Amino acid sequence: MADRLLTFSVFRYNPITPEIPPRMQEYQLEETMGMSLFIALNRLREEMDPSLMFDFVCRAAICGSCAMLINGRPGLACKTLTQDMPDRITVMPLPVFKLVGDLSVDTGVWFRHLNVRTEAWIHTDKVFNPKSIEARMDNPTAQAIYDAERCIECGCCIGACATANMRADFMGAAFLNRIARFMIDPRDERPTAKYFDVVGTDEGVFGCIGLMACDDLCPMEIPLQGQLAFVRRKMAQMALKCKKSA
Amino acid sequence: MILQKLLAKSPRLEARLELLELATGLMLFGFLQFHMFAVSSIILGVDAFNRDSARMDEYYLSYIGIPLVILAILVHGLVAMRKAPWKFQEMRVFVQHSRRLAHLDTWAWGVQILTGLIVLVLAATHIWSVLVTWPIEAATSAARIQGGYFSSFVLLILAAEIHAMVGLYRILVKWSWIHRKKFTKYLVYATIGMVGLGFLTLLVFYFRSIPKGLS
Repeated sequence: MADRLLTFSVFRYNPITPEIPPRMQEYQLEETMGMSLFIALNRLREEMDPSLMFDFVCRAAICGSCAMLINGRPGLACKTLTQDMPDRITVMPLPVFKLVGDLSVDTGVWFRHLNVRTEAWIHTDKVFNPKSIEARMDNPTAQAIYDAERCIECGCCIGACATANMRADFMGAAFLNRIARFMIDPRDERPTAKYFDVVGTDEGVFGCIGLMACDDLCPMEIPLQGQLAFVRRKMAQMALKCKKSA
Repeated sequence: MILQKLLAKSPRLEARLELLELATGLMLFGFLQFHMFAVSSIILGVDAFNRDSARMDEYYLSYIGIPLVILAILVHGLVAMRKAPWKFQEMRVFVQHSRRLAHLDTWAWGVQILTGLIVLVLAATHIWSVLVTWPIEAATSAARIQGGYFSSFVLLILAAEIHAMVGLYRILVKWSWIHRKKFTKYLVYATIGMVGLGFLTLLVFYFRSIPKGLS
């Protein structure tokens, strides 16, 4: 295993130099024990090509910076071990997000937009009293919130989504998962109708065609099928309720 | 926000379209399987087939059912098409995306669009050819299948059953009514079973000589 020679086919394109067309560049590297794709890319940059652009921060699957297409599928470079990969590894940047250059994309703007659109904070009229005892929450609710909260905003679900690839205004699983998180939370006093205007649309949950690549490829293994269905059901109930009152 | 989008916004309508797609989809799924079992009565004999047909006529089931099914096909087709990649560029994005991803569920959607289009065309010719030789009788059906419609029926049975089963899978997944990975195999068995039944029915019609007027 350790003496394999790996071939990396890396997507190269810099928007600053549009006269050089997008291309795949090949590098070869000897595999070492426990090598992750993150280690391999760093070695490529240090030893062969200092111009190679890619993102990373934590190297421990917490920050979500190093998401990219690994042999065509979204994944985290730091969490991908070369021993699980064939001799030839193709890496491309995540689609949908703005391409900064080579493997680097700007997920920040996208996720900031998500947080603004979903108003990702607890909406309550209760005034916080630091001296009072914290309100209790039952365990299943806390678990459900935690499940959604585990999202590291890497963007793999968005890169894996056919609808998000085709339509720039589609919200995608990360967005809907965030909404689900606040809908479950009993501390958030927003009525369902408020969410309905944001996600009860074709840009929101009804644009989802249920291909479940998000669910299959989420590096944090968040149960996105369930999260999307939860939002879908709530929004459908809302639409039917509106019908009665209209 | 831009003016035309602001004015055209109607979340309730979009939600209801989704529910309409769901309802017509489930209805057509039910109809297709009922239809497959009904025509397979030819396996039991010409009399069984003709009796079934006559009974549906007698209770006006055909006269209510057929217009409803035509309407459901049209509505379902139109509503489902709103999400398909119709722009050439979207189509290319989808194909390239699917090839990169090598993800069965993603490919299945391409199959869904393709089989949907096949069903739309072939179901139209099928309904037309049945209506012009009304009433439904074993003799006319056999004459049709022996007279050159055989291959189009093979394609229609395959396309319709695959479309229906993948569609049902998609519905169950979207509303999370099933455990995705466990349930898939049952749907594959059901598809093979229904396609098998359809082909058997077709072969019986093809090889059986049924003189006109026999009932």
